[in-house]
Amino acid sequence: MSLADGVPHEAVVEKTVSHNVKERRAAWILTGPALILMVVILLAPILVASLLSFTNYSLGNSGFDWVGFRNYEKLFTRSTYAKMFVATLTYVVTVVPISVGLGLGAALLINSLGRFREVYKTIYFLPVMATLLAMAIAWEFMLHPSIGMINRTLEMGCGTFLERIWSFMANGCAGHFPVWLGDKRYAIWVISFIGIWQGFGFNMVLYLAGLTGVHRELYHAAEMDGARSAWERFRLVTWPALGPTTVFVVTISCIRAFQVFDTIEAFWPQGGGPNKSTYVMMFAIFEKGVQQNLIGIGSAITMVFLAFVMFLTLIQRWLVERKVHY
Amino acid sequence: MKLTATAMALALSATAVFAEDTVTIEFAYPYSHLFDVTYEAMMPAFKEAHPNIEVKFRATYESYEDGTNTILREAVSGNLPDVTMQGLNRQQILVDKGIAKSLEPFIAKEADFAKEGYHDAMLSLSTFDGNVHGLPFSVSLPVGYYNMDVLSAGGIDALPTTWDEVISACETMKANGVENPIFWGWNITGNWFMQALMWSQDKAIVDNGHVAVDSPEALAAMEQMQEIFTKCEMQNLEWKSALASFSAGDIGMMFWSTSALGAVERSQGNFELVTGPFPGMGETPKGLPAGGNAALLTSTSDDPKVQEAAWAWLKFITSGDGAAEVAKTTGYMPPNKAANEVILADFYDQNPNKQTAVDQLPLLRDWLAYPGDNGLAITQVIYDGIERIVTGDATDMKELQQELVEEVADLLPNG
Repeated sequence: MSLADGVPHEAVVEKTVSHNVKERRAAWILTGPALILMVVILLAPILVASLLSFTNYSLGNSGFDWVGFRNYEKLFTRSTYAKMFVATLTYVVTVVPISVGLGLGAALLINSLGRFREVYKTIYFLPVMATLLAMAIAWEFMLHPSIGMINRTLEMGCGTFLERIWSFMANGCAGHFPVWLGDKRYAIWVISFIGIWQGFGFNMVLYLAGLTGVHRELYHAAEMDGARSAWERFRLVTWPALGPTTVFVVTISCIRAFQVFDTIEAFWPQGGGPNKSTYVMMFAIFEKGVQQNLIGIGSAITMVFLAFVMFLTLIQRWLVERKVHY
Repeated sequence: MKLTATAMALALSATAVFAEDTVTIEFAYPYSHLFDVTYEAMMPAFKEAHPNIEVKFRATYESYEDGTNTILREAVSGNLPDVTMQGLNRQQILVDKGIAKSLEPFIAKEADFAKEGYHDAMLSLSTFDGNVHGLPFSVSLPVGYYNMDVLSAGGIDALPTTWDEVISACETMKANGVENPIFWGWNITGNWFMQALMWSQDKAIVDNGHVAVDSPEALAAMEQMQEIFTKCEMQNLEWKSALASFSAGDIGMMFWSTSALGAVERSQGNFELVTGPFPGMGETPKGLPAGGNAALLTSTSDDPKVQEAAWAWLKFITSGDGAAEVAKTTGYMPPNKAANEVILADFYDQNPNKQTAVDQLPLLRDWLAYPGDNGLAITQVIYDGIERIVTGDATDMKELQQELVEEVADLLPNG
């Protein structure tokens, strides 16, 4: 009996074990391609770059030397790289809040519209769809100091009342209007302006999607509870309900702002702007690693760049896990 | 889908048939805005002379630095073109790394190579360790471009010959209401104008592996630049905007390479354009750096037919009618005696603006490259330094010189 009892029991166990093994194997086989691709395309290059950042490898050389932390030491001691961090952070700190704010504002305004909603959506989204590089060339023509549209337009203000109330105008009329792209006082702001112009439409679309998820009843409930003004409704309902969207939008905007490159490459293919005032990290990586073939230092900047982006992503995860959802 | 497959099969078989009697060589060159017209003008004659050679043009290089980099990358990835045009100061690195092939075996096979008009002085620009590695294609020198309409409106009637005269011309023009008197091409490729001011004083910027930014001549050059930039109140224009401004008739005097003359003349507005010799520091310059590019053979093909075809193309563009097109379509001079003296005999009489650079030929000196892997990074350091003079960020030249010396030393191979 015991024998008769034991056999089928063991067989069941064996069957489940082999079934388990099979299932596990199938799982590995199915995830295999994705895993291999992830390692080959994402992890291996990062590993190679982090190894190269400790060398003085220059493209075309047959060998290289290990230099330890010398590349990183240069990054944190040289004035050029100090300018790089200043330019990058200035850009991020300017572009992110303004483009998020404008995106939210545009989304709210469009959402309150009955008609022409699609028209406005399209207009604001156009710069996002256009290639930034091509747009940069158009901007370059417009910003040309003597024959560009912007300074020509400003010149029309000369001799009018504007000259009396706006000292910038008076100075421009007396001497000449700014060399937008050649003056270190303006260059980074011009770049930031173009970044905002180009980016806020994308944030607007994300917010529009977020707004469709806000329940109508919440507004009614808030109104019942005494939130009469539009501002109160926004503060008590819309803004908290948009929490997850905002976390996502801010993270995406930050990463995109860190990645700014096209405009700088188009305006100043050599040097990264007047006095390196727009020498952002992406451009520095390109200049060192691609233009000057100095793979070692280029990799070191890349690693620092990755650290920044990783840091932002971690903050985002942390915020999401803290339940910004309602 | 089926249609595409058929089309592809057809295309493949077509190339296969074609390949039997046609040799295809790949070729790349920099500065499309200068040279597109030149190669366009050359192609019909080349097709006629070598009907079985097909030249495939690769995407053009944005600048000489870009060209050298592209070649270095292509050498690593193994898809070098057969012939490439490289800046005269970037040949050395390609020869050192064994990417540019020696041309001696081909020259040895030519019966009357000397008659083609390649004379020694010009070949020397591309000779390394006694072997010719390239054939110079176009040579330029810095010159002054003057908009005579702006100049006479500003009260200037004689062309300046020294920088002091340039500065006083600036001041007169400013006083007479000319807003934008000058553009001085400091940002032209590879610190060429820094070298121009150094050679003016007969000093080489690189001597025996030493970069002479610490010399008194370098300080004098920087002080001269500062004087020009500040006293003329020069705007910090990107060079493409500057060329656009000059062509539009906004700028009175522009100092730039003669190479852009063809392009400027093509886009020039309605004004009288005159070129003049490059001014000197107190006296006539003692030397000026040669700009321009040379054709290098970088073919990795084992097929002698491809090698021969590449050599035929190389020779065609640097001699005879091919070389003459360089002068006709750009402001460059063909470094070929035969082209200059026979084919172009009365060309320069009809184009006096292009004559200016030819007159300066006795001053021709080497355009020097900075040594080591960091050569391009050193170029950038000097560029950044000069930019600080233009933007007014650096006011004390001695201090700036000291900073440059330290940064350059840091980048030198044994520094």
